[in-house]
Amino acid sequence: MSTIDWIILFTTLISIVAYGVWKTRGTNSMDSYLRGDSTKWWTIGLSIMATQASAITFLSTPGQAYTDGMRFIQFYFGLPIAMIIISVFFLPMYYKLKVYTAYEFLENRFDLKTRLLAAFIFLVQRGLAAGITIYAPAIILSTLLGWRLGYTTTVIGLLVIIYTVSGGTKAVTQTQKQQMAVMMGGMILAGILVITSLPTNVSFFNAMHIAGKMGKLNVVNFEFDLSDRYNFWSGMTGAVFLFMSYFGTDQSQVQRYLSGKSLTESRLGLMMNGLLKVPMQFIILFVGVMVFVFYQYNQPPIFFNEPIRQEMTNSEGAEAFQKLQQNYDQVFQEKKLAINGLNQSVIDGNESSIIESSNLVNDLQLKSDAVRNEAKELIGKTLPGAETNDKDYIFMNFVMNNLPIGVVGLLFAVIFSAAMSSTSSELNALGSTTTIDFYKRNINKTAVDKHYLHSSKLFTLLWGIIAILFASYLSLFENLIQAVNLIGSLFYPTVLGIFVVAFFFKQIGSNAVFYAALLSQAVIILIHYLNTLEKAGIFTMGFLWYNALGCILVVLFGFILQPMIGKKARNTP
Amino acid sequence: MSEKKDSEDRPPILGSWKKLYLFVVAQLVVLIILFYLFTKYFS
Repeated sequence: MSTIDWIILFTTLISIVAYGVWKTRGTNSMDSYLRGDSTKWWTIGLSIMATQASAITFLSTPGQAYTDGMRFIQFYFGLPIAMIIISVFFLPMYYKLKVYTAYEFLENRFDLKTRLLAAFIFLVQRGLAAGITIYAPAIILSTLLGWRLGYTTTVIGLLVIIYTVSGGTKAVTQTQKQQMAVMMGGMILAGILVITSLPTNVSFFNAMHIAGKMGKLNVVNFEFDLSDRYNFWSGMTGAVFLFMSYFGTDQSQVQRYLSGKSLTESRLGLMMNGLLKVPMQFIILFVGVMVFVFYQYNQPPIFFNEPIRQEMTNSEGAEAFQKLQQNYDQVFQEKKLAINGLNQSVIDGNESSIIESSNLVNDLQLKSDAVRNEAKELIGKTLPGAETNDKDYIFMNFVMNNLPIGVVGLLFAVIFSAAMSSTSSELNALGSTTTIDFYKRNINKTAVDKHYLHSSKLFTLLWGIIAILFASYLSLFENLIQAVNLIGSLFYPTVLGIFVVAFFFKQIGSNAVFYAALLSQAVIILIHYLNTLEKAGIFTMGFLWYNALGCILVVLFGFILQPMIGKKARNTP
Repeated sequence: MSEKKDSEDRPPILGSWKKLYLFVVAQLVVLIILFYLFTKYFS
């Protein structure tokens, strides 16, 4: 990267941190530290969106579009529905009880043990996930910038700790406004630049035709197929449960909308997310598709992770790799001619010629993909342990090699900002839950407000240090990443089930829901175990469906157990 | 976070939350239809 890029990157990041600290100076009560300070609806909306948009969103999503087209967007179709359900049922109850955390509500509705169970699951899952939120982009950024992994994790972690510990919820929401501006501004600029980098005879309209004919504009698919992760039906069913679970019960999101000036402002923030999230994902995916079209006219690398590609040229597989590279280049030249033919057919509007050219282009694309897959296999064999999936490197490789000086620094700021925005929400929520649900509720109930303010800061700092340490040493425990993602998928359905019982099934009491949750958890773990052995029979399903199943099981077991062990259910206030 | 009565809790546009929720659903439906037409047109 050039000096100008470095200046832009660090100026952007330091300005955001300084703004967060300056804007929240003098935060002197636990209430303003944990709840923020009467946040407006549009700040809440941006904060919710920035929390969900992690660095991996901006690294992976364009790569996802490049390799698999735009169908990933269907996953987000359930989000607006989940926002409405949360706004109607969850939010008024949180406001009525004036809770700091979502789990406080569970004690009021059920009892202390149910509250602590949900809060404990959150701390374990989100505490580990915070490390991954830093680690996952850090490993990619370290590769691209040539930094040691420890430096990257420390830079991201320390910058976040500075303003999150100092200003709490308000600092998180205020900085997320700037971070969202950087993220979306950077992505839209990258989109404009990639479109203007196409050959002069390829209009924007023709570029979309080329992408469409090559199967990349596959935005909606109405075919019902349980094994297909992204289609209209999975988006409108399984994803609704997933988003209800994430936005309705995960404190890192709940804390964002509880910072509202009023119930109205919080509801409007949720609706803003419901209205803008799908278009936002569309923009990010569309940029990825345009990068794909760009590489139909410009030779792409056979493997987008440059350091590994370099390593291959000096390895014992160098000769075979070189041959594959030549083969890949040759197929590219043939494909480029065919693409030019397709473009001309589109300009002429000749339908039969368009079909003929499309078939030829797609055949050559399959050939090109086959060569790339061979190269990946060769890398896997030659460099054991090397990551052969280069999807996450596609977009930033394009940025570094094709965008002008200054924009490169801005796009790196996008990725760092995204990492910081989601990490700050996580640390803020972890600190709050530790303080409110464990320390204040169980250990020290009668201290003064200042004491809890300092405790919240201390717990936020501790979670930040844990996240950095976890991220720094995560590379030694690669399997842990999968394990942490698994914990989320396995435990969140049960937490959602507890909340669904709390809101919708008032006849189920505390003992019944607690044991129903434990039982449901055991069933989900068993089903997952059978799925890994491929022996689940009719329960063969992807992770997305665990959310729906786990939630339904808690309700079902709750009804069965209530007459046997149930205490009389409490009335909700 | 200030507690407000339900009657005071009205959205600044469209008059009621029900209408605003319908608007969010309508936007989703329109987007899905547009995406479908987009997919069909360029495929």
